[in-house]
Amino acid sequence: MSFFYSILFFLWFFISHAHATSDYYERLLLRPLPQSALLASFNFRSNASSTSFDRQHFRYFPRSLGQILQHAHTKELHLRFSLGRWDDENWGTRPWNGTREGGTGVELWAWVEAETNEEANSRWLTLTNALSGLFCASLNFIDSTKTIRPAMTFEHEGKYTVKSEKNLHLLHGTLPHEVVCTENLTPFLKLLPCKGKAGISSLLDGHKLFDATWQTMAIDVRPVCKQDSLDCVLEMEQTVDMVLDIERSARPRDNPIPRPPPLEDVECDTSKPYNAEDTCFPIVKDSEPAWSVTGVFGRPIKGACPLAENYHSQSSGMICINVPPEREVIPSSELKYEERSHNGGFLRCYEPSAGADFDLTLPEQQLSIKAPIEQPRMYASRSFTGNGQERGGVRAVITNNSPESVSLSYLESLPWFMKLYLHTLRTTVKPFTLSTSTEEDAHSDLIREVYYRPAVDRHRGTHLELLLNIPPLSSLTLTYDFEKAILRYTEYPPDANRGFDVAPAVIRMLSSSNSSLHGGSTYLRTTSLLLPLPTPDFSMPYNVIILTSTVMALGFGSIFNLLVRRFVAADEVPALDSNELRSKVLGQIERLKRSFRGKGAVGKED
Amino acid sequence: MARLPWFQLVIAVLSLFQFTFAEHTSNWAVLVSTSRFWFNYRHLANVLSLYRTVKRLGIPDSQIILMLPDDMACNPRNAFPGTVFNNADRALDLYGENVEVDYRGYEVTVENFIRLLTDRFGEGWPRSKRLMTDERSNILVYMTGHGGNEFLKFQDAEEISAFDLADAFEQMWEKKRYHELLFMIDTCQANTMYSKLYSPNIIATGSSEIDQSSYSHHADNDVGVAVIDRYTYYNLDYLETQVTDPTSKKTLADLFDSYDESKIHSHPGVRWDLLKGGETEGRQRLVMDFFGNVQNVEIEDKASKNNDTQWREDLEALRRLIDAARQANNESARAENVKPGVDFAEAASEQVTASQMPGAAKVQRDDSWSKRAVGATALLGCLGIWLAGSWLEAKR
Repeated sequence: MSFFYSILFFLWFFISHAHATSDYYERLLLRPLPQSALLASFNFRSNASSTSFDRQHFRYFPRSLGQILQHAHTKELHLRFSLGRWDDENWGTRPWNGTREGGTGVELWAWVEAETNEEANSRWLTLTNALSGLFCASLNFIDSTKTIRPAMTFEHEGKYTVKSEKNLHLLHGTLPHEVVCTENLTPFLKLLPCKGKAGISSLLDGHKLFDATWQTMAIDVRPVCKQDSLDCVLEMEQTVDMVLDIERSARPRDNPIPRPPPLEDVECDTSKPYNAEDTCFPIVKDSEPAWSVTGVFGRPIKGACPLAENYHSQSSGMICINVPPEREVIPSSELKYEERSHNGGFLRCYEPSAGADFDLTLPEQQLSIKAPIEQPRMYASRSFTGNGQERGGVRAVITNNSPESVSLSYLESLPWFMKLYLHTLRTTVKPFTLSTSTEEDAHSDLIREVYYRPAVDRHRGTHLELLLNIPPLSSLTLTYDFEKAILRYTEYPPDANRGFDVAPAVIRMLSSSNSSLHGGSTYLRTTSLLLPLPTPDFSMPYNVIILTSTVMALGFGSIFNLLVRRFVAADEVPALDSNELRSKVLGQIERLKRSFRGKGAVGKED
Repeated sequence: MARLPWFQLVIAVLSLFQFTFAEHTSNWAVLVSTSRFWFNYRHLANVLSLYRTVKRLGIPDSQIILMLPDDMACNPRNAFPGTVFNNADRALDLYGENVEVDYRGYEVTVENFIRLLTDRFGEGWPRSKRLMTDERSNILVYMTGHGGNEFLKFQDAEEISAFDLADAFEQMWEKKRYHELLFMIDTCQANTMYSKLYSPNIIATGSSEIDQSSYSHHADNDVGVAVIDRYTYYNLDYLETQVTDPTSKKTLADLFDSYDESKIHSHPGVRWDLLKGGETEGRQRLVMDFFGNVQNVEIEDKASKNNDTQWREDLEALRRLIDAARQANNESARAENVKPGVDFAEAASEQVTASQMPGAAKVQRDDSWSKRAVGATALLGCLGIWLAGSWLEAKR
């Protein structure tokens, strides 16, 4: 069972190639994982022959996307919306060997046909702008600072003639800060022929998908040709993989906040010494939890999508569940379905009919054999080192878990404000075994090739691509230092104090053997990093204005006073006593009186 | 003989009919929240409530421009993933299963908002992010956020002033981008925001007078923050209970008269004077003229056909002007040694992208002995020159 996923993978590959001229497929794989997690892997494929595509005759291939691809001269497109982290240690190898996965946020790479680099860049901008409108994501933020041209990490999946391949330009951009939410799922579902109304896509609900521990939505468009012929089809593959928590999804939607259950409902572990009437240690259950499709996804499968052509394939059904043979699976009995089992019983597939709801229920059960989990051949993690606002470092640890040495490519696309010092790039390797762990030294032959394109402030980011070689059963540590740039006042985003996201590193395992399954490569992405940059006090301009105004007012006031006032010493001023005041007031009254009288006298005189 | 006056009467009535009902032929809505951060949940809920209402009354997603500066539905702090509520009873999920956000996150800026209103975008801007209205479109502009006297903050980083807004609307009017516009704003001192408008055919309403705050309505303890503002709450209350279907004949007067200051806790204002006919005319406008999608059909007669040819002539003249400008540009471009036939925009983009080199270059690590020897020789040479110099100096 160790190559379980690759078998599945092969199955998929076989179907896609055997029926390359057919139109639309969909498949769902359910796979319970440890700790009450459930992996749901949705796959939708629709084809359009290249002649009908060129004539803008669309049937299953969505017109909205097709026209964008034609307008932007894009031959192959890969778009990813991802959230969360895949737990390698507990969940094993990644679905699709990581090829249908993206870094946190939004990741886009495409092969654009163009004569020159400038033309490729402008077509890439057209593509990102158009996709941002289609997918309600800020893909238009993928500008020259976020675009790179990877050298080794990505290979096209489609088939091209030598002549057309020469004009293909690979461009890659990421938005690690982009949120993925219902507004991205809505257009994703609208691209499907059944639009989420029937078939397995009816299970895709934003409330569950965005509650998942890990989820990734992928769109891949590639030309697929039959062997040795010019008869090509354009294949579009939409994939949704998510890991749901069975317990969490069982909570009611209008009241999802976990509240402690009443003590009567809790089964206590009576073997604990402190167990009493008021103290209880809940029993840790070893059995498989009970769940159903309706319970986990909030709704049943609304029958088969009538447009899907699954009946040709003898090897598999539409909904497959990967559980040990002894695990009881009860399909909703009221309708007919076809059940087939494969792979020694570890894979059971169902084929519901169109028009009626379909559900699978799995009761709680104690199992003697658990479904095996294949340990991944490689882990990777990446973190920041150093302190302060000026400099920092990055430390990536890549662990080779397999007994043979592995060559891999490591791709970093860093923002321009994170200025890499290439001369500080160091690698150390540390084997697992204790006896040799003391000789931890720098190997110069670990890095076989370096592709590097330095950043230019505000115009482009750093592109670093390494070809590494890791000895068996050892972990490689890659470190480098960088300097943080100071941004202009207006360049800071509204939430500058949160930090700036740095895109995940993409690791591609180059297989040593020539088992050609999707190029034979396995992908792995680290998590994104949050880089704190020195942020100014944003109220500073206002403070400065207020302070300067105050200083100016003070200065102006005192100078004005000096200019218009006459200053005399205190003793020069005649003393003011009450008698004097009285006589003054009396004098004034007298003068007023006199003036009135004087007026009257004049009148008399005339 | 007797038939003629009757016939004329019919025509007169018909023309009158056409005159009074030849109003708008499309409805658009621009719904803007301007606040980022979780504690401003209510502002996004306000906007989403309005989004849901206009969608309920028939405006399609393609004619709604929704601007949400932050993500509340999938926010890690949200205990209800994929959901936004505007009431503590949590009866209605505003985010639902079908929501199209046109501008989100950092895209919600003053610049983008004014560009949207005036339709000034660069090449390749997607259609779904543009307000493609004409002189027969009624537009509802709803804004909410934190504001003050004659300004509204965007994302706590920049502001739009009442003057900017008035000028943007004026430009829209000059470009024949609306027929009638209803401007609604829910923020502190909201009425100051429409005080500077000066373009015709705008009805404006706000939640509070100068020096008055607008308040939130209530909070949800499980969401943890206030979920809706008072002014929006009572607007919605009216729209949900009174305007139940697209055939509703409720007027704007009914809506504005329903405002109860003791409930809203501030003095909402209405501005009618920009509308032709003023308050008496404005009070007869239907709620559905702005919140719904009523498509009046206008039948072209001969007179409008004449207009059409005139319009075409105008277009032709404009095209000639553009051609002349383009030619002049091309000549100047040719003078700068840019290849002929490239128009100005392309030439500009070429200049920008010319600095962008293709892919990364392979770094060659060179630690051969020849290079070291060259370095050592250079160093020794320098040392020799220095020694010779000092020797000559000493000899003198």
